Amino acid sequence: MSRRSGRAGEALAGYAMLAPSLFGLLAFLAVPIGVVVWLSFQNWDLIAPLRPVGLANWRDVLTDPDFGHALLVTALFALMVVPVQTALALLLAVLLTRGLPGSALFRVIYVIPWVCAPLALGLVWKWIFAPSYGALNAVLGTHTAWLTEPALALPAIAAVTIWSQVGYVTLFFIAGLSQIPDHLLEAARVDGAGPVRVFFSITLPLLRPTMFFVLVTSVISAFQVFDTVYALTQGGPQGATDVVAYAIYHEAFTAFDLGHAAVMALVLFAVLVVVTLAQQLYFRRRISYEIG
Amino acid sequence: MRSDERRRRVRGALAGASVYLVLIAGAVLTLAPFVLSVMTSLKTSRQLATEPALAAPQPATGRNYSALFGAGEGFGHALAVTALVVVVVLIGQLSFSILAAFAFARLRFPGRDALFWVYLATLMIPPSVTLVPLYLMMTEAGLRNTFWGLVLPYLFGSPYAVFLLREYFRGIPQDLVDAARLDGAGPVRVLLQLVLPLSRPVIATLAVITVVTHWNNFIWPLIITSGNTWQVVTVATASLQSQYNGNWTLVMAATTLAIAPLLIVFLIFQRQIVRSIAITGFR
Repeated sequence: MSRRSGRAGEALAGYAMLAPSLFGLLAFLAVPIGVVVWLSFQNWDLIAPLRPVGLANWRDVLTDPDFGHALLVTALFALMVVPVQTALALLLAVLLTRGLPGSALFRVIYVIPWVCAPLALGLVWKWIFAPSYGALNAVLGTHTAWLTEPALALPAIAAVTIWSQVGYVTLFFIAGLSQIPDHLLEAARVDGAGPVRVFFSITLPLLRPTMFFVLVTSVISAFQVFDTVYALTQGGPQGATDVVAYAIYHEAFTAFDLGHAAVMALVLFAVLVVVTLAQQLYFRRRISYEIG
Repeated sequence: MRSDERRRRVRGALAGASVYLVLIAGAVLTLAPFVLSVMTSLKTSRQLATEPALAAPQPATGRNYSALFGAGEGFGHALAVTALVVVVVLIGQLSFSILAAFAFARLRFPGRDALFWVYLATLMIPPSVTLVPLYLMMTEAGLRNTFWGLVLPYLFGSPYAVFLLREYFRGIPQDLVDAARLDGAGPVRVLLQLVLPLSRPVIATLAVITVVTHWNNFIWPLIITSGNTWQVVTVATASLQSQYNGNWTLVMAATTLAIAPLLIVFLIFQRQIVRSIAITGFR
């Protein structure tokens, strides 16, 4: 009797404790997904009342060469950032796990940019890249317009992104490296493998779970870059840095076409899901191949 | 044999030196933008134009900072609004996430596992997708350009925090919970007197992550507020830059003020943060 009432009480306490968080989850994550789908079939300019327009928004966005361009720029950005960032982070992690004195200090220094507001860092770099009175041109003795030259602007934003995130990614590789048992590395060395060989045939394969996590999260965050673009170029010059997240913002809050923006957001969502699943499939196949 | 040993030692020292060379180069590249921007913030526009960009300010001036706190800019107000947002979101997110995580980890009730799957699924939803619909919902609720418009979407906890806390709470030995239960403690007392004190590290970690995320938040405050009343520090910095385009000494003072408070928090808690980032990535 008392046991049963205890169990009912436990269930009641469970639901009560869950209630606020569940409300937030539904109201601010689940409902918005429904709203954005519904909004993608409406015309809304923030002033006039909403008006259903059927598939018109979808047709407009999917045939809009500018949106195709934005997707391309975003993919290009991810291709510039992710490989370099991952390789640099791996290198730093290897160097920082050699037990050298001072490693902890370097680790902290490298993480500093990750803690700071990307918007503020973006503005710092906007000054560094400035054609006159900027630090970079002063160091190089040049007068390059880094951010207004279409061929240079996207690489510049990629460089700032890598600079601000590489220390953070390094921490994951350090954690991954520290989980590799010493005796495996020792065994390979005893068998006469040099450090390069040990790294590529023992360390790297064993880092696969870390690598998967790092690649998935880096790609997802690269596909959503906004603050740095807003601070440095606002999508310019001539659309050279018009990434999808910035295009959505611009469509919604500068061009005031929220229906179009809703479609763009849903396309971005679909792209992210596909990219994540593709990475998962790739890694799963590689891992099972190895076991089999 | 002996010369072999010495050769190996020399090679080791050389390797160590080259490792340090790479590490120091990395540290210089990481820190230089911070040092340069602070130096620039201490110059007058004239000094910036006439002196080399890399030279230390001579003499240093606090004029840019006093201008930011002067009548027109209201940077102090933006800092205060940001601090208020961060504190309210921190309290709400931590308490509601702790309650939910405890329910998932330690209580039994019908539908628990299905609900947890819903939480996991929402981890996949990127913020850039919910931005436009949230803006529509807040506008309809009349919350545009209000304090509640700024904090409501984050107040009730995050699925990520619930997930992280649940993993940690599950690691607490069942024996301890059973003993407390036998002593007649209900779920609330078990949470407050047993689970919370044992979970201090993970809660501290989450607190720091929440503070960093919301101090740095930009796009949501950018679209949901307008004007000075509820302007947060990132938005104030961005609007200052577009207003005084090219006035780099003033803008660098603003970025320094936007960055400094978090940098101080980070340096105080750096050991926990660095250790915990690794934990939060893997379970």
